[in-house]
Amino acid sequence: MLKVAGGSLAALGLTAAGCGTGSGSGDGTVTLRYSWWGSEDRAKRINQSIALFEKKFPKIKIKTDFQPYADFWKKFNTQASGGNAPDVFQNAIGFLRKYDAKNVLLDLREQAGAGNLRLDGFRAGLEKFGEVDGKLLGVPVGSNSMALVVDQAVFTKAGVSPKPGWTWDEYHEALARIRQTQGRAGDAGPYGIMYLYDLYLRQQGKAFFTTSGLGFTEADLTDWWTKAAARVKSGVYADPKKTIPAKPKSAVTAELAGCEFTWDNFAVRYTAEGKSRYGLAPIPTTDGRKTGQYLGSLMLSASKRTEHPKEAAQFIDFMVHDPEVGKIMGYDRGVPATEAQYQAYVPTDEVGKQIAAYEKQLVESRVLEPITPHPAGADVCEAAFMRLAEEMSLGERPVADAVKQYFTEAKTALSS
Amino acid sequence: MDAAVTSAPTPVPVTRTAGEAASADSPAGGGRPPRAAGRTPRPHRARRENLAGYLFMSPWIAGFLLLTAGPMVASLYFAFTDYNLFDAPKWIGLDNFTEMFGDPRWRTSVEITGWYVVIGTPLKLAAALGVALLLNQSRRGQGFYRAAFYAPSLIGASVSIAIVWRAIFSDGAAVDRAQRVFGLDAGGWIGDPDRIIYALVALTVWQFGAPMVIFLAGLKQVPRELYEAAQVDGASPWRRFWHITLPMISPVLFFNVLLETIHSFQIFGSAYIIGSQGNACGPADGTLVYTCYLYIQGFENSRMGLASAMAWMLLLAVGLVTAVLFWSQRRWVHYEEGAR
Repeated sequence: MLKVAGGSLAALGLTAAGCGTGSGSGDGTVTLRYSWWGSEDRAKRINQSIALFEKKFPKIKIKTDFQPYADFWKKFNTQASGGNAPDVFQNAIGFLRKYDAKNVLLDLREQAGAGNLRLDGFRAGLEKFGEVDGKLLGVPVGSNSMALVVDQAVFTKAGVSPKPGWTWDEYHEALARIRQTQGRAGDAGPYGIMYLYDLYLRQQGKAFFTTSGLGFTEADLTDWWTKAAARVKSGVYADPKKTIPAKPKSAVTAELAGCEFTWDNFAVRYTAEGKSRYGLAPIPTTDGRKTGQYLGSLMLSASKRTEHPKEAAQFIDFMVHDPEVGKIMGYDRGVPATEAQYQAYVPTDEVGKQIAAYEKQLVESRVLEPITPHPAGADVCEAAFMRLAEEMSLGERPVADAVKQYFTEAKTALSS
Repeated sequence: MDAAVTSAPTPVPVTRTAGEAASADSPAGGGRPPRAAGRTPRPHRARRENLAGYLFMSPWIAGFLLLTAGPMVASLYFAFTDYNLFDAPKWIGLDNFTEMFGDPRWRTSVEITGWYVVIGTPLKLAAALGVALLLNQSRRGQGFYRAAFYAPSLIGASVSIAIVWRAIFSDGAAVDRAQRVFGLDAGGWIGDPDRIIYALVALTVWQFGAPMVIFLAGLKQVPRELYEAAQVDGASPWRRFWHITLPMISPVLFFNVLLETIHSFQIFGSAYIIGSQGNACGPADGTLVYTCYLYIQGFENSRMGLASAMAWMLLLAVGLVTAVLFWSQRRWVHYEEGAR
């Protein structure tokens, strides 16, 4: 706190405001602040889990706070800069290096050594997921992977059935068929999804990021976006002027597109949102085999400045390992990361079964690879990628211009 | 930092309050003509009254120093540094300003804001004056109408209205369907980066209540005899408006122009919310107003130094426009001698 506050007058107000919270009281009760992003539905499940935790650890109280994804990081950034980050918080791969470089994340290795946090019992080597330069900066709560969510009724009527190993050409033929027979755009438009473009690049032996910069060239991106612009124009990809105002509803549930790429655990929300039946299809490939996929994950991290690292570790351990919590959370945060929670929750609904089957198939078909590094500044790169892809798709910016602007902005983000 | 960012454009209102405070202070002190020397020596009494004045002002002074002046000084310093909130600010001289002027997105935000001020402000004032003229006539139910027209301004600043606005102007929503009746099947305004700004203008025009009330007060001050005399001379309603009403309310008009222009420069909430799906501030930066970009640089990209530089640029611009307006008032604002 001293270092930051000493450097800035403005941060002073933030630290002053936060000083009263997070400490213990006379009777040994400790209060932890836990913040995360997500929806109301997740809030309900998390509160139920916390009630269980407080019953088991009566000396620890948990105070929660949540926002949607983008707002979460704005708030977190402000809190963390004032030395007032929540004790425990939800985290993701794109933010690990960023906040490690800023000295915000607690190395949980020590707590694991002290026995407050178990690192055994994780599926598919997931415990390695939150490691950066030998430090354990986050513990995975669930695994997920990119998938293609499809409107099954539309796909069936168009006579399209995706199979593992299908190629990008086959995928685009399918989209054209949907467009012709169903009068609906085939896909919502994948050109702005950084994580999908990463897979596409990985299929060609490249990647979105290297440890310090971008892993692709202006020519690569020009090719990707030039083809996309043509497909938006021909109606194979949905009209962005219609999909943008439909948000937060997805283009698929708004019946503007037959399918779209997203994280597999998001599939849960489609059934609640739309009228049709929705399923998961595999990622198209370049060579008929390699999808470039890896398991991603939400993580729980702790603040380096927490006054209660032991309790924070105990709480993380509980949220990650406890079977009851696994039952309550279901696949909301992805397929549970630990065997105990994975065994505890057997999905009974169709979407849950599909997600389980999808990930099972991924693991068994051995397409999974190690994840691409996310350098500090990756989050800003993602936002710029989304925005410029949107401008390109709306015809507001020529492809060449969008590509040039992207490289300029990414360079600034990755160097600062 | 937050205070500096949001309060950057405030110095105009702030100096006004400071001026008021000072003038309120002076009659109590030295301004009063010395009465016949009483039992208390004058300087002593004046000092005591001053002290009381300062005592009463102290909450405001403390608030000003702590919440406005302090952050402003800090933000002026940050404007010349590279500061990401975490590491100590690094002095980089004018680099933030050079980067700003060379940034095409910054230029977009300047264009959009300029356009919004130039189009939105006159429309809003015209609407306010028009409705004020209607409400100035004595008719039945006037009280109800005044309240009804003022109501949008009361709730206008809220997030909920921006969300409702978003819904109204979306694809397939009310405005879109109304357009189709006239054969204009162009989709909603929200997804169209070229048209979404009109939704913002429509929102600000709809919130004309505050200037309307001020206009109404001004209209009440115009002496009836002037109209009667003009009517006797056979002046048409239009001529009466142009040659009597407008000059007579020109001080009020000036006040409204000034206030609304400054207000328009600071537009943030509605732009951020109405344009907030996918990317903050509009599809393809369609509602990227100046403060929106400032917010993005500061809070999304963690570039507080650059954001501070932008805030000071905005302050300069608003100051300049205000100065020009003040200079121009000699030509068109009519102050009655010994106003009633």
